[in-house]
Amino acid sequence: MISATLLGQSVLSGFFAGCLYALLGLGLTLTWRYLKVINLAHFAFVLIAAYLTFQLVGKNGLNPLLVAVILIPVFFLAGVAQQALIEHYKVNEFASIILTFGFAMIAEAGLQWIWSADYQKLEAHYMRGSLQVAGLFLPISDIVMSLVAISLCVMVWAAMRYTWLGKALRASLDNPGIAAAFGVPNRKLSYLVAGASGASTAIGGIFVALLSTLAPSQIFSWLGVVFAAALLGGLGSPIGILAAGILLGVSEHVTMAITAPSWAPVVPFTLLMVILLLWPERI
Amino acid sequence: MLKIENLHVGYGDATALSDVSLHLDKGELACMIGPNGAGKTTLVNAIARLLPIRSGSIAIEGRDVSRLTPQELCDYGVAIIPEGRRLFTSMTVEENLEIGCYRPAARGLKQQSLARIYEMFPVLGERRWQLAGTLSGGQQQMVAIGRALMAQPKLLLIDEPSLGLAPVIIKQVFETISAIHASGVSILLIEQNASKALAVAQRAYVLDCGSIIAQGTPQELRQRSEIDAAYFGAGN
Repeated sequence: MISATLLGQSVLSGFFAGCLYALLGLGLTLTWRYLKVINLAHFAFVLIAAYLTFQLVGKNGLNPLLVAVILIPVFFLAGVAQQALIEHYKVNEFASIILTFGFAMIAEAGLQWIWSADYQKLEAHYMRGSLQVAGLFLPISDIVMSLVAISLCVMVWAAMRYTWLGKALRASLDNPGIAAAFGVPNRKLSYLVAGASGASTAIGGIFVALLSTLAPSQIFSWLGVVFAAALLGGLGSPIGILAAGILLGVSEHVTMAITAPSWAPVVPFTLLMVILLLWPERI
Repeated sequence: MLKIENLHVGYGDATALSDVSLHLDKGELACMIGPNGAGKTTLVNAIARLLPIRSGSIAIEGRDVSRLTPQELCDYGVAIIPEGRRLFTSMTVEENLEIGCYRPAARGLKQQSLARIYEMFPVLGERRWQLAGTLSGGQQQMVAIGRALMAQPKLLLIDEPSLGLAPVIIKQVFETISAIHASGVSILLIEQNASKALAVAQRAYVLDCGSIIAQGTPQELRQRSEIDAAYFGAGN
């Protein structure tokens, strides 16, 4: 039987992991639902941003906030550029998997070429240390990342529900022709979504660099669990991916504590299969 | 208000509309009647710029709009009540109405327009937070009408408003159309139900197999026995 402290610490680490899944999956779930693009290159963008942060903060000594100011617009434009390519060649939903998988492979090779396949860790003094509450450790970096992830998800949810742009986007998903007849600029909105998704990978990448060890092959290690979170949360739902991400993160970490770390990957897919079997209209 | 000359529209090799010309004066209500498959909805979609045209011209208040995008046309004050309503079904009633006033010129009048529509259709006010897809057919038609009115249209394209509705609701829909017309909006009404359409229109066109085969005032068309037999049916 495991101790209450270990269980509490596992739930906490799971919560933080879940927030990172949500941060990495927010753009993915939005482009999947609203642009019909299943963007595997999303994770490549995240890792490129992480390596750039590693370089600029770790090697060149820039402040991470300054790096965010530089990377967010650059990755916004990268997202727009990828979408322009996808629209120009009229890539459909399933072909988008192949195309963006190709981008991810190229990115992985590029990262290996520049930074080698070795594990790298950003050594910097930003967001070090932990709070200690009731015998549990809460790393500052995880707290900041989770607050950013939760705020972004809530902000996107509110924007979808309460702003002209959000409503126009939902209308254009329901019925693009009629939305256009009332003046909704479908194409501009799709570039906005692609750009916002790109910008979110910059934010995700900065946190990945600050929180974890980097290796080019990581592009594909997030894929499964973040996909599961996107599907479980309901495609296109910012609050859904946050809830599903936390559910998966906590269940993974508790499984690790009770059994062995090698069992962790079983959890998200078992949950995904069970929920799809019981509740197939979720997708 | 609206002037269409020698319009040709096709899908692939098939011709849907050939050499269609019509005009609609400011403040007029014209109807376009004709059987299923005559090309009526194609005509509406071509005017709304949802379909490309092959040749011919469409002018609104003297300005050619036949090459504009739907979004650009919207700024000319053209709104559509499409066949089968085509609401944003996963959005609420109020959100559907709000998209109606998406164009900047109409957006500032959102509160007045909403109040006007809820006064016109009190049931929509009661159900403003309900998803549009869960309403009855008649209520959905009210949302479609309301959505178009939110755009502050000068020209309203109405496509088969009576389709799939109960007779009592159809009567209400036609009363609403007359009221909108009385408020000064020019209307092109597409309708299979010829007797209903002719009762409210000032000018009428008959479309068959993609061409206009007759036009005139409702009285003139009613007197032409061959049209009467073919399109109005016995007993009307």
